[in-house]
Amino acid sequence: MGLIQREIERQGIPTVGISIVRDYTEKVQPPRTIFLKWPFGHPLGEPGNLAQQRTVLLEALKAVKTIREPGEIIDLPFPWRRYRYSVEQMASLD
Amino acid sequence: MLSSIKNQMIAKAITRFPSLAERFLAAYQPVRSEGVIPWSELGKPLRTCKMAVVTTAGVHHDDQQPFDMRDPDGDPSYRELDGTTIRSGFTITHDYYDHTDAERDLNIVLPLDRLDELTAEGLLDSLSVRHSASWAILTAATYRPWSKRAPRKLPASSKKTRSIWCC
Repeated sequence: MGLIQREIERQGIPTVGISIVRDYTEKVQPPRTIFLKWPFGHPLGEPGNLAQQRTVLLEALKAVKTIREPGEIIDLPFPWRRYRYSVEQMASLD
Repeated sequence: MLSSIKNQMIAKAITRFPSLAERFLAAYQPVRSEGVIPWSELGKPLRTCKMAVVTTAGVHHDDQQPFDMRDPDGDPSYRELDGTTIRSGFTITHDYYDHTDAERDLNIVLPLDRLDELTAEGLLDSLSVRHSASWAILTAATYRPWSKRAPRKLPASSKKTRSIWCC
C-alpha cells in the first residue's frame, strides 16, 4: 500500500495510509501513516462497529493535518478488543 | 488450486492468531524505499476536500477480473471501483488474509459508508465516485514495471481529488 501511496503523493495529491504492519510501513516510508496493531484485513476495525470505524477515520483525517514530517507514523493506542468507542461528534477538523 | 487452499487456510490462521504471522511477513518483505519521501501539502481545509480511497484488500466488482493469486510476487494490477455500486456487489480476491469479516462489512477495508457520514456532517466536501483497489504485495520483481505505469493509471488520483485514504 505504501508504494501506491508514494506514487499518488508524487502526483500532487496528499495521502494518508492506515497500516497494520508497522515493519512494512517503516521500510516503504509512505508520506503519512496511522498504525494500529490489529489483525490482517481489519484496518478499520470490526464488522458493524460503526463507532470504531468512525474513530479510525477521524484519526486518519487528523493525521493529514498534524503530520508535518514526511514518513511519520502515528501509533494509535486502541486495543483490538475490549475497548468502548464513542461516536465522536466534531464541528470541524480544520 | 491446492496452493490457493493452503494459502487461504494459512490466512485464516494468521488473521485469527497474529503472532503466527511473523514467518509469513518475513517471506514477503516489501521494497525498501530510498531517497526523498514524496510530499504534497494539503493546502486547503479538509471540509473543502474531495476524498478517494485506495484499498489493497483485493476488492473488485463482481464482473471484473479477479486478482491473480498464482503470482508469488503479487499481481500489481488495480481495479477501478464505482463508489455508487461497489457496496451492493463486490468480490474479494485475496488468499493472504481471512476476508470473512470484510465480506460482512465492506467498510472495514473500504469505508465508504463512514466517509459518506463524515461528508454529510460537513467534515469533508465530498466523496469521489471513483476509487481504486489492488492486492499488490509488490516485491522488487514487480515494483519497477508497476511504478512506470502507475502514475498515469491510478483512477483515484484525478486532478479534482484533493486527498486519498489508503487502507
